[in-house]
Amino acid sequence: MALSIARIDRRYLYILLFILVSIPLLNPLKLPVPISELTTNVYDPTAALPAGSIVISSFDFGPSTIPENRPQAKAHLFHCKQLGLKVVATAFWVSGAPIGNDVLQEVYGSDFPNISEYGESIVYLGYIPGGEVGMQTFGDDTWQAKGIDHYGTAVGDLPLMQECQSAADFDLWAEWTSGTPGEQQVIQFVQGRHGGPSAVPIVVGSTAVSVPGMMPFYMAGQIIGILNGLAGAGEYESLLNVAYGYPFEQGPGLDAQSVAHVLIIIFVIMGNIGYAMSKYGGGEGS
Amino acid sequence: MIPPELGLFAAIFGVFVTIFIYSFLWKENPLSRAVEHLFIGLAAVFTLGGMYDAAVTQAYWGTNRIVEGNFIWLIPILISLMYFFFFSKKYFFLYRYPVAIVVGIMAGMMICGMIQSNFLVQIQSTVTLPLVGEGVWDGWPPQGLDSIITIIGVITALSFFFFTWEHKGALGISTRIGRYFLMATFGAAYGGTVMARMSLFIGRLRFLYETSYEDWFWAYYLIPIAVICVIIVALWERSKPTTTPPTPETRPTTKGKSEE
Repeated sequence: MALSIARIDRRYLYILLFILVSIPLLNPLKLPVPISELTTNVYDPTAALPAGSIVISSFDFGPSTIPENRPQAKAHLFHCKQLGLKVVATAFWVSGAPIGNDVLQEVYGSDFPNISEYGESIVYLGYIPGGEVGMQTFGDDTWQAKGIDHYGTAVGDLPLMQECQSAADFDLWAEWTSGTPGEQQVIQFVQGRHGGPSAVPIVVGSTAVSVPGMMPFYMAGQIIGILNGLAGAGEYESLLNVAYGYPFEQGPGLDAQSVAHVLIIIFVIMGNIGYAMSKYGGGEGS
Repeated sequence: MIPPELGLFAAIFGVFVTIFIYSFLWKENPLSRAVEHLFIGLAAVFTLGGMYDAAVTQAYWGTNRIVEGNFIWLIPILISLMYFFFFSKKYFFLYRYPVAIVVGIMAGMMICGMIQSNFLVQIQSTVTLPLVGEGVWDGWPPQGLDSIITIIGVITALSFFFFTWEHKGALGISTRIGRYFLMATFGAAYGGTVMARMSLFIGRLRFLYETSYEDWFWAYYLIPIAVICVIIVALWERSKPTTTPPTPETRPTTKGKSEE
């Protein structure tokens, strides 16, 4: 018995996982979504910014983490738009640039960047090369880091960029990240060089795998809020849904994630029972 | 998510590559390998193209920096071209200069940045954790309890990496507690990893279930076809005669070559 539990073919577990995750996606369970403190600490500081404040929205992720990072960035951009905040969007990952353009088109309309607000309350600079060096240059002298926007317009011709010339002008940095350069590089090369957390507050939307590593920075106040993976995106959508009627798109995904986590907990318990029985029960595996 | 100009093709292609790459979980097969290679190739080309566009087109020609006489921008071009001396035996030493410049810049930047944000600020925030004061012990869990746990965790976890003395007595107790804190940290990291991987899997499943084209095509129509393709290829590979790798005894010796 102990040995049979320990030796279940992993492929049966995959099939079980596939079936159980599919059920809530096809037929949402509508489980409640409690809002975590991490998410509230992204929402509240953003909502507290006065209209016209400048928010940097940085798309530092690739296609592999779109399910987590994209809904986070999209929801936060929508929030900024509703609050009348000015957004300077950019990407320090080359693969983040087209995703950023895509998300902005979803939030600001499919005609983006050919909209009246472009250049006034929203600018998309696109990819800034150089990784950490590019990030530091962007904080020191925004125009020097990128002479033209994603669509070829000189930054000097964009009225918003007249107000955004260095980190001293940033009121909030929203970092959507799944690696390096990411939130740690923003802390080191922008926040650390320009007055600390009070001068450049940072909120992060990250893949869940990276969040435990961010907690020391969160506890130290270097990061003021974190959207934790798909759950963080869902929680933020839920808050926006109440405030602005924003579509709660991640609901089925959160249901599926809850089901998957319960299943994995059961797997872990079964595995431990099998191990304990084989070790202490005098089974074949001992 | 799918660009309208690609439409149906992107949906069909997306379904097939998704099923092919996940077929790896069942067994590695030619289709999963093909998609893996396709992904690596596309990522490499996309990165190269994007960086070329950003560095050359946007930083130089798009902004007319060099045309306007700002010749300092030529220096990075010249330095980067020196990388190509990697392919020359005679001038290989020149290849080391751009490498040295990049290493030097990054080391300088990282040392300053890391010490400030990852070291000093972390120490500062740990030693200033509130233990007394108004509201510190109010509510549940009180902030003071968090502070005490953090302080114990920092001290004991650090003691685990203290190798000057043998971990016995008081130090042994401390390292044991520190090990539990480290295990809890790894557990949290594992939980985060599971959560992240599940999110990606759910993202792919939502693509399969929710992608449609002009109300007549749904991506999940193709799932059975893609699965059948995987089965056919797996069976075909299984039917091929297997080649046994040479055993160490029969493997041709390289002894003579290495001696040369």
